[in-house]
Amino acid sequence: MTGLSDSAVTGIDAKGTGSTLGLGVLVPPVVSFVLIVGLWEMAVGYYETPAYILPAPSRIWSSMVKDEGSILGHAGITFFEAVAGFTIGSALGAVLGALFAYSRTLARGLLPYVIAANTIPVVAIAPIIIIWFGHGLPSKVAVTAFLSFFPLALNMMKGLQSYDHTIMDVFHVAAANGWQRFAKMRLPSSLPYVFVGLKLNVTFSVIGAIIAEFIQADRGLGFVIMTAYRTLNMPRLWAAMLVSALIGILFFALVALIERWVIPWHSSMREDVRS
Amino acid sequence: MTSVTEDPATALVENQDPKVHFRGVEVIYPGEQGGEPVHALEGIDLAVRDGEFVSLIGPSGCGKSTLLRVLADLTKPTVGEVRISGETPRTARLKRKVGFVFQDAALLEWRRVLANVALPLEIQGISRGERQARASELIHLVGLTGFEQAFPRQLSGGMRQRAAIARAMSTNPEVMLMDEPFGALDQITRDRLNMELLELSQRLRMTVLFVTHSIREAVLLSDRVAVMTPRPGRITEVIDIDLPRPRTLETRETAAFEELAKSGMHLLEQGFGSS
Repeated sequence: MTGLSDSAVTGIDAKGTGSTLGLGVLVPPVVSFVLIVGLWEMAVGYYETPAYILPAPSRIWSSMVKDEGSILGHAGITFFEAVAGFTIGSALGAVLGALFAYSRTLARGLLPYVIAANTIPVVAIAPIIIIWFGHGLPSKVAVTAFLSFFPLALNMMKGLQSYDHTIMDVFHVAAANGWQRFAKMRLPSSLPYVFVGLKLNVTFSVIGAIIAEFIQADRGLGFVIMTAYRTLNMPRLWAAMLVSALIGILFFALVALIERWVIPWHSSMREDVRS
Repeated sequence: MTSVTEDPATALVENQDPKVHFRGVEVIYPGEQGGEPVHALEGIDLAVRDGEFVSLIGPSGCGKSTLLRVLADLTKPTVGEVRISGETPRTARLKRKVGFVFQDAALLEWRRVLANVALPLEIQGISRGERQARASELIHLVGLTGFEQAFPRQLSGGMRQRAAIARAMSTNPEVMLMDEPFGALDQITRDRLNMELLELSQRLRMTVLFVTHSIREAVLLSDRVAVMTPRPGRITEVIDIDLPRPRTLETRETAAFEELAKSGMHLLEQGFGSS
C-alpha cells in the first residue's frame, strides 16, 4: 500500500527556514559598513568639508548622544506614536476591509470615498487632524492612524476575496457555516495580503508621526529635525534622519518576524533570504 | 459479453431502493451576456446501487462534472429530481452523506496533513481526540503513514491526492464523488492510485461516482460506465463492466478488458460525431 513512486517527498526535511546566520551572511554587510563609515570620516577630515555640507560620522554620533540632550528620548516618542497609530489604523482598516469583502453594497457605496481619501497628501490633511485632536500625543497618533488605515483596508478586502474556490467547495460539501468558512479558510487565506498591508503601514506610520511633529510638536524626531533645520545644526539633522530610518527598520523587522511566525506555510516565507 | 443497455432508465427499474437516483434531471446555465442559455445536462436518468462503482466518461462540456456537482448540492437542477438515500442533495449534504474529491487536491496549505484530513470532522464538531484518531486511521488507509505532520507543500501530487481522498472519507460518507481525481498525475502514480482505489472501494463497499477522461481507467475501476455526449449533456449509453473481481493492473491485458475498452471508445467517438 505504501507508494514507492509517489512517496518521494519533496524536501520534507529541508525546511528552508533561511534563518541560519552563517559567517557568509554576516561578514559582507559588516565589512561594507565599516568601510563606508571609515572612508566618510577620512574624506571629511582630509578635505576639511564644513559640517553644514557633510558632517563626519563622529560628529553625527556625538550630536546624537550629546547636543541638547540625547536623541533617544525623542526617538522613543516618535516610535510610540508610530506604533500606536499603526495599531489603531491597521485595526480599523482590517475591520472596514472585512466589511467590504462581505458586503458588495457597502463596498460600492464607500470604497470610492476610501480611495479618494487615500489620495489626499498627508501634509494637507495633517493640520486639520491636529486641530481636531489638539496639541498632545493623540493628534500625532491620529495622523499616523489615518495613514495606516488604507493599505490594510484594501489588502484585507483583497485577501478575503482571494480564496481558492475549490477549497470553498470543500467547505460547502462539509456543511461548514459562515463563521467556519471565515475563520478556517478565508481569514488564513488572507494573511499573506494582510502582511503586505502591514508592512506598507510600517513605513507610512513612521512618516505619519514625523510629519505630524513637523506641523506642531515640542518633542519627537520631527521636532528635532525642524529645530535643527532652523538653526542649521547639520550634525543633529543627520542624526535625526538616521535614527528615524533606524526606527523604521526596527519596526519593519518586528513585523517581518511576526509574519514568519504566523504564516510559515506561505510560499513567500520559504524563499531563502540570501538568494 | 459487452452488454450495452439500450435505455439506461429502464435497466435500473429492477432496483427498488438505489443509493443515488436521477430522474429527468436538467441543468440550464443562463447564457453569459445575452448569449444562449447552456444546457449542461438534459434528460438525465440514472440510478446507482449501494456499493456500486459508476464512472462517467465523455468529452469536455458533456456535463459529467455538473452531474457530480448536482449531487453535492453545489449546483441546483433546473428540472427533475435527485435523491441520495431518498433525500435531497441538500439534506444529504447537511447530514454529511457525501464525500467529494476534486481534480485539485485543494488542501489548506497552512494545515498539516493530519489537520487537513480531520477538517470535515472539525467542522462537524467532533472532539479533537476522536477526529485525530479517525484521521490517523484514514491516513494509514491511503498509505500516508509517517506524513501526518507534513505540510501539503512538502508532498508530491500523488500524496496530496491521497490526503484529499482521506479527507473526503473522514465523515464516512454514503456516496463518494470523484471528479477526475487522478487527472493531473503522471501515468505511474495514476496506475498505483487506481489499484489502491480499486482495492479500497471493494473492501469498504463504497458507492462511487467517478468522472474521468480515460476509458481504460473507467473500465478497470467500474461496475458500470456511463458514456456522455455534450450540447446538451446527456447519458447516451451505460456499459456493464462484467469483468471478474478482484481486478488488478493485469486485468487490463485480458481480451475481455480490451473489448470493453474498444466498445467504450466507439461510443465516445459516435458522441463526437453527433455533436
